[in-house]
Amino acid sequence: MGVSEFFLAFVFGIHIVMVNIGIALATLIPYLEWKSLKLGDNKLLENAKRLFKIYAATYGIAGVFGTAYTVFLLSYYPEFIGIAGSVTLYLFGIAILFIVLHFLCIVTYWYGWGRFSDTTHLFIGGLLAFSAYMIPFGFRSVFAFLNLPAGLEIVGPSKLGLNLAAALANPTFLPLYLKSIVGALITGFLFVAAIYAYKKYKGELDDPVYEQELIIKPARTSFYLLLIQAALGFWYIGSLTQVPYKFNNIFAALGMKIQGPGPALNLSWLFILKMLFVAIQFAALAYVLTTCKTGLTVKDLEMIKLAAASAVLGLLSGEYLNAFSQYPYFVAALPQIADKVPEPWRTVLARALDLRKANPLTTDPGLIAFTAVFLAVLLAAVIYFIYVIFIKEEKNNQ
Amino acid sequence: MNPLAQWASYAASWDRLLSMIGIEIHWIILQYVLGFSFIVFLLLLIHWKTGNKHYFKLARTLTKAVGLVFAVGAATGTASEFGLVLLWPNLTEAAGRYIYFPLYAEIFAFLMEVVFIYLLVFGWSKLSPKARIAVALLAFVGAWYSASMIVSVNSYMVAPTGIVAAYDPLSGWKYNQGYPKIMLVVPSNIVAALNVPKLQSLGMEVVGKTSDAVIVLMPSKIVQRLAWEAWNNVYVKDSILMLVLNDAAKNNAALLHTPVKNIVDTILVKTVEHVGPYTVTFMSPVYPGSILHALGAALTVSGFTLIGAYGFRLLTAKDEKYKKYVEDAFKFAVYFSLIVIILQGLVFGHIMGEEIAHYNPEKLAAMEGTSSKILSLSALTGSEKLMPLIIYGNPNAKMPIYDQIPKNYCYLQPRPGLQDCRPPLIIHYIYYTKIGLGVLLGLDTLILAFLLIRGMSMPKWLLELNIASPIVAHIVSFFGWATREIGRKPWTIYGVMTVDVAHTPNPAPPALVAIIALYFIGIIIALGVAVWKLIYIPSLKEEV
Repeated sequence: MGVSEFFLAFVFGIHIVMVNIGIALATLIPYLEWKSLKLGDNKLLENAKRLFKIYAATYGIAGVFGTAYTVFLLSYYPEFIGIAGSVTLYLFGIAILFIVLHFLCIVTYWYGWGRFSDTTHLFIGGLLAFSAYMIPFGFRSVFAFLNLPAGLEIVGPSKLGLNLAAALANPTFLPLYLKSIVGALITGFLFVAAIYAYKKYKGELDDPVYEQELIIKPARTSFYLLLIQAALGFWYIGSLTQVPYKFNNIFAALGMKIQGPGPALNLSWLFILKMLFVAIQFAALAYVLTTCKTGLTVKDLEMIKLAAASAVLGLLSGEYLNAFSQYPYFVAALPQIADKVPEPWRTVLARALDLRKANPLTTDPGLIAFTAVFLAVLLAAVIYFIYVIFIKEEKNNQ
Repeated sequence: MNPLAQWASYAASWDRLLSMIGIEIHWIILQYVLGFSFIVFLLLLIHWKTGNKHYFKLARTLTKAVGLVFAVGAATGTASEFGLVLLWPNLTEAAGRYIYFPLYAEIFAFLMEVVFIYLLVFGWSKLSPKARIAVALLAFVGAWYSASMIVSVNSYMVAPTGIVAAYDPLSGWKYNQGYPKIMLVVPSNIVAALNVPKLQSLGMEVVGKTSDAVIVLMPSKIVQRLAWEAWNNVYVKDSILMLVLNDAAKNNAALLHTPVKNIVDTILVKTVEHVGPYTVTFMSPVYPGSILHALGAALTVSGFTLIGAYGFRLLTAKDEKYKKYVEDAFKFAVYFSLIVIILQGLVFGHIMGEEIAHYNPEKLAAMEGTSSKILSLSALTGSEKLMPLIIYGNPNAKMPIYDQIPKNYCYLQPRPGLQDCRPPLIIHYIYYTKIGLGVLLGLDTLILAFLLIRGMSMPKWLLELNIASPIVAHIVSFFGWATREIGRKPWTIYGVMTVDVAHTPNPAPPALVAIIALYFIGIIIALGVAVWKLIYIPSLKEEV
């Protein structure tokens, strides 16, 4: 793996973790508001507001690192972006429209708290959650296209087109999308449960209602979602049999080679690692759910934190597995379709879709050092930011 | 001539309109990120020096505003970024490959903005006064650093480094000598395949040599043709390069089956390496004026927004204590706006104008309306006689005449997306409206400052009139950008890439474009209503 791939993987990793937590928070916060209104419980509403601040921070960080990812991608692989931009216009377009709507919802939801009517505010909360689901709908349709370019049409020597219906009917799209959403809910719910488990451990959460709503319920939901996730995982793996290069890079070493290109890599270890993290989550949550009936013990709280950490690591390993199993191609199915593509596109795509062919102007060691130093300094600034906002005490000064 | 129809006649009119709406919405918001963040820093310094709590309060209010507009700006920025990729993928690809550095470096500016703006917003009461000033400094530096990167890319599009324009103010247009030309560094192995005398007869000039390349000035009409061929997957055998290859090269089968894009890429990479990949956009000859003028616009709009808002509050404030605060805020807004509009109009604008005159003479001709086909406001007002002195510093210099620009100066052969090389004359009216409104704003601040200095009371009608001043300032700023962007047509990168080449081969149908445009406008209206309802109305009740 070259430096360009490393930087891409690094910023993508931070982006995707934040996005996943954000999707769950965008679901949980309106739910908590609804619940607080139903129960007339202001403290629950206060917790929803606190979670919203965390959501705003995660969303901001996700946005910055998402932008960094696109800009890095553009700088390292401009020809790929040029082609992807013209072909997948509608798929990206879906994501863009909902990104804009989501931002509007964030602003109006936060500033509208206590100023709009409850019904209006809850409606905005519903839109917040809906748009959070629709952004990955657009992006995952692009990811599915990068598995298998369903709907790609070669219109002429200077033009590629896309059949939108065929692109959305991509066999890898729906399982990938649903798996992503369920995975995001698991990670985000466990993240919230872990925050409140920590609070409980510190003695800052004494009311059993909050214990139930903010620790046990998210943990229980995550447990059931893990079962659904397993089924969706099998569906996604099944769909990958249409992309032998990717499938074989993951499963050939485990004795499940299918006919077609590959394996060129052995990423079975990453798959096993991912499964290990899933197993830890499952075991930890099963333990908590069987013992919590008599109240949460210190060990339960630790198990929840362990499950949350495993969820984040499982998510990262899954995303990296999905990305690197098609290395060095931007489109995993390229080895199986390349010889069917007419010239000049065969030559153009072979060049543009190869991750090893980074922009020669970006391989300068000075740029690599610049990127590394800036990323380090700014990550330190992000950590300081989180410290000041969430941990540091207020000063009584001007 | 119908200037509106002429403007619509260039390629990709619907997508140009959509981009204009999207980027303008982003720019409306960005101006506050750039302007307010600086003003917050300034106010904190003033408060630190004077101890006047009103400045501290104003700084706090503006910090909240920066937090809000930055969030919205990030959304519109993301939409603009993706919009560029989707509507102008070939331009995006070219920018990403050859002038990527400022875009790349901008990401760190974005991260800096997010961290320090929100540190200021949410950590306000947790920071010591000195730390708050330091964070405010970093917040505005982040925003300005971001602008300086993006404006450098835009400057390169307006006048790429190495451009030599087709006009001399003493002798006139130089199209007959092959101008405008662009500097290229051609690797020796490519030069070896070329018929150099033939190229020289077409206007190419050899201006230098390196150890492994030849530095030339290449006519733009050839460069843009090669760009079109590169992004249309043309092979050398079908290219205009066949006209200038030497006999040996014409018989080289491997070369004939090479995509033109490979040749273009090799030359452009070599050129950028020669100029410097990290400095190439900053060396655009219009960069100094562009960045100063862009920042000046942001400060002006921010200043007039404060005049409008606090002028309105002066009309409505009843509580004496609150009124004192509003008076101080209004005073600050007036003096600040007066300073920035003088700088913007007389210094930054002048630098910008001189740069445009030297490097975009066709645009200058359209801006000044030196055409008999339209009603020329410069001729009508008599300002055309003053312009040579103002622009060239020489009363004997000649203004570029629009009607003398050949319709075909930018191409060897016309094609469906490229018929007329002249810039649209509509920018004459846009530019003169901008100048007229800018002068009015300047006069407005002079009157306000005069009344404040003399300690005279503000007439009610003047305060009421000034409620509109932020909108006027936005119109001036928008018309400035419109002149710059619309006036570059039919070029996307002047002298290098035309609009039809930059544009996506898969444009959305006009109806869909209209729906998307309405969607964005709807979102902005919803946001405006929400902000008005949530922020502005309650703030009228705020106490000191």
